[in-house]
Amino acid sequence: MRAMNALIYDIRFQFRHGFYAVYVLVSALYVLLLYYVSPDYKERTALLLTFSDPGAIGLILAGGIVLLEKDQGVHDSLFVTPLRLHEYLLAKALSIAAISTVSAWGIQVCAIGLPAAPVPFTLGVLLTSALFTLLSIGIVARARSINGFIWLSQLYSLPLAVPLLGLFQIGPSSLYRIFPTQGSLVLLGAAHEQVMIEEYLYALVVLSMGVAAAYGWAYRSFERRVLARIGKGADLT
Amino acid sequence: MIEVKGLEYAYPGAARKTLHGLDFHIGRGEIFGFLGPSGSGKSTTQKILIGVLKGYAGSVQVLGQELRRISPDYYERIGVGFEFPNFYAKFTVMENLNLFRSLYSVPTEDPGRLLERVGLGDAVNFKVSQLSKGMKMRLNFCRAILHRPQVLFLDEPTSGLDPVNARLMKDLILEMKAQGTTVLITTHHMQAAEELCDRVAFIVDGQIKLIDSPRQLMLRQGSKTVRVEYRKGEELAAEEFALDGIGGNAAFLQLINRYPVETMHSQEATLEQIFMDTTGRSLT
Repeated sequence: MRAMNALIYDIRFQFRHGFYAVYVLVSALYVLLLYYVSPDYKERTALLLTFSDPGAIGLILAGGIVLLEKDQGVHDSLFVTPLRLHEYLLAKALSIAAISTVSAWGIQVCAIGLPAAPVPFTLGVLLTSALFTLLSIGIVARARSINGFIWLSQLYSLPLAVPLLGLFQIGPSSLYRIFPTQGSLVLLGAAHEQVMIEEYLYALVVLSMGVAAAYGWAYRSFERRVLARIGKGADLT
Repeated sequence: MIEVKGLEYAYPGAARKTLHGLDFHIGRGEIFGFLGPSGSGKSTTQKILIGVLKGYAGSVQVLGQELRRISPDYYERIGVGFEFPNFYAKFTVMENLNLFRSLYSVPTEDPGRLLERVGLGDAVNFKVSQLSKGMKMRLNFCRAILHRPQVLFLDEPTSGLDPVNARLMKDLILEMKAQGTTVLITTHHMQAAEELCDRVAFIVDGQIKLIDSPRQLMLRQGSKTVRVEYRKGEELAAEEFALDGIGGNAAFLQLINRYPVETMHSQEATLEQIFMDTTGRSLT
């Protein structure tokens, strides 16, 4: 129940800060962009957009949310309640994954049509969003300013973008299979092409392992760098 | 309620310890004040007592639990009001209290009633960003006591409050005490400590220099005299008389009968003076 309440108030927080309004606008722009893309490139462009935005939205959004919370100093009050850190992280990951999913489906359906394999596509968006959200929380725990966060987020997320090279047949594709985001591309690609069941399983496993690692990192980072500073008030320079 | 023995603490990576073997106990329904200048170790002690810092040496038991082994359920039983009243700025006063209330599984107070009690009944639908520091401090107090905690930790509870609201806050703290709540106040405001605390501890350089009741300290370390200021013609004059046997002191009786008295005060010590005499340090 407590985790559910944390989720509800996270959604309300994001709505109140205008994140949803901005995201509706961004999604509409993507649909418009895809409308003008040649049919030969439309599916690949849609895959790239879905990966880099609804999927990776967590990188910017979670960072922005936690920076706002730091600025308002609410972690002090929040973590002297029975709220567990894992409930806090789960609420962030789920609330942002919900926006990602609605946005990804909106772009897909409006620009191209229903995804060929809806379940893998949805799982791909959810897990990719969770991966970047948790990564972002680990990063923002280390950041003391907005500029610091932007710089660190580019640095830490760059390796996760490496498998995108494979979309353009650049580099050894087998090497990309160790990256969790290769799993994202396989699952998101299921919107447009048939994928073997073994490939689905591989994608789910590698991406889930990435999410689990990001969760552990985010948990430790937040515990050591944010919770240990409780009582010092707002923490943003 | 709170039992601390041989408490020592060093921050990770720090060469020196911040706390050097603190010993004290606080009983049920007691208001206990931790007084000390910035950097004395009082905030570190409070952070250990609220379960934020766990890597301490010695023993710290609150409500029968050793704090290095607590889970977040500990916060169902204690309330914490920090010096800086931080809330979700874009949520209303009521939304904020409802948010925090939803995180507890124990019975909670009616937020509307609490807000009325602290004079924020008209601000229920104000966004927190619209509130003054004093209003936020009162809201902070409501948040800290929402779940009817058995132990309440307050850091500078009257900071930023005007005299009327500071009085209101002190009355609320005394009300909590009357209901059996143990209150630990961390402050460097001597007047609040004098008025509220059953006992105070002076902490300097991570060590407790003295623990006693403010009244006993002020009486014991003060001068047992009364100082009378009176008007002698155009001149303002003053004299001191021993309190012992003052009812039969002919000089005193003659003075108050003969001259218009302007002020008359017993000369007990102030807590601030006692702090300086005991620790050799000022509170600022």
